[in-house]
Amino acid sequence: MTRLAVSTHEVWLELLMAGFMASGKNKQILFDFSDIIFRHFTWMEQYLIDEGIEYDYNRQSIPIKVDKLSVILADIAFRLRQIDLQLIVCSDQALCERITSDIDYITFVLNNLEDETVSAFDLSRKFGDCDLTQEATDALTLFLFEESYKEYELIMIYNYLKAHTQDHYLIRVFQILIDESFFHLKSFGQMMADMGILGVPRVIYKELYKITDVAQFLKDGINEEILAKEECKKLSEAVGNESVELSRFFDCINMQEDYHIELMKRALEHYEGIDNDK
Amino acid sequence: MNFDSVLLEHMMEPKNYGELESHNSEGIGKNPENGEKVIVFLDVKGSDPKIEDISFQAIGCMTTVTAGSIITSEAKGLTFTRAQDLIAATLGILDDVPPEEAACSEMVVLALKAAMDTYMERRKDFEFPVISYKIENSCYPQNNIPVEDMKDD
Repeated sequence: MTRLAVSTHEVWLELLMAGFMASGKNKQILFDFSDIIFRHFTWMEQYLIDEGIEYDYNRQSIPIKVDKLSVILADIAFRLRQIDLQLIVCSDQALCERITSDIDYITFVLNNLEDETVSAFDLSRKFGDCDLTQEATDALTLFLFEESYKEYELIMIYNYLKAHTQDHYLIRVFQILIDESFFHLKSFGQMMADMGILGVPRVIYKELYKITDVAQFLKDGINEEILAKEECKKLSEAVGNESVELSRFFDCINMQEDYHIELMKRALEHYEGIDNDK
Repeated sequence: MNFDSVLLEHMMEPKNYGELESHNSEGIGKNPENGEKVIVFLDVKGSDPKIEDISFQAIGCMTTVTAGSIITSEAKGLTFTRAQDLIAATLGILDDVPPEEAACSEMVVLALKAAMDTYMERRKDFEFPVISYKIENSCYPQNNIPVEDMKDD
């Protein structure tokens, strides 16, 4: 069952990456499917927790570099069929039936999507019509690699914490932070694809999400969000002269971090309250 | 960082990343200032030890991951003697790089050295613990003030 969760984790990311490579209607379909497979992953995770089975977020690296969308779609369909075959190890009949049904539909749709030429790996480092300076381009490049990984890391950490708490308030906060990080990851991933530098976020180090001191994690998280705000501000200033659109985007992300900080402060206060009541 | 196509490829798809499924040694390079660290996993074979396979994982920035991707790619397939030369040469190059830029690569090189040293120790004692080395360079420019520039008040 742990292997099944790992395979599902890998396909979720591969579908997300395919979404970045695609355009128009294909993009939305692939993002929606990616969201569905992420939900499968969280349901499998809950099954593992309920059954007392040890698991982690380790996975293999996922090769995504293709010239044509159809190539990665064929690989995704193959992996999904493998998952379907592995479902035999899961004793939750309702969950298995749901996943099988989804896989059946998703593979059917994937086989019929219109093919596209992929430019997400052409290393052009051009962002739309913006004529960024070399310095701004380099700053944006590094920011996108750092932050796309960071958002993936945050999704997985919050997801792990959410899966391992029974507290409704904390579950609500973690879910908001997961949703917010998904928006950031999708935004940064799309920019990377547009600039021809798309890459899958690397595997997360186990000790980052298998957290024993939640209060310390929240305190560190608040400090990290403050640093992230600074990075967004710097980047907004660096690209401000060349692109109002980019500058406005990073200002918006910067402001969103304020709300994350507030949520994490409230979560910390709540968590310490629970701890004191024990 | 100079973003040529080779460097970008390493950033997009870091080589040898993740825990090596079959490994007989590992070593850690860490930055005591901020908790960043790199673990190098080795699969070593032969009486004249040779790095058959290698991988790494990092809690660190993209520069660390890129350095890990490049250095582990160079180390794969080397005997320990050649790998020691690689370590010495890399540390030599880093001497001419600003400390805050050298810190990440130093962490990877020290993790490789720690993994090799762990392997040698485990030849004598199978249960020898994983060796860990701390970097000397600092990620933070303000912490790299040369001693001669420090003045007493």
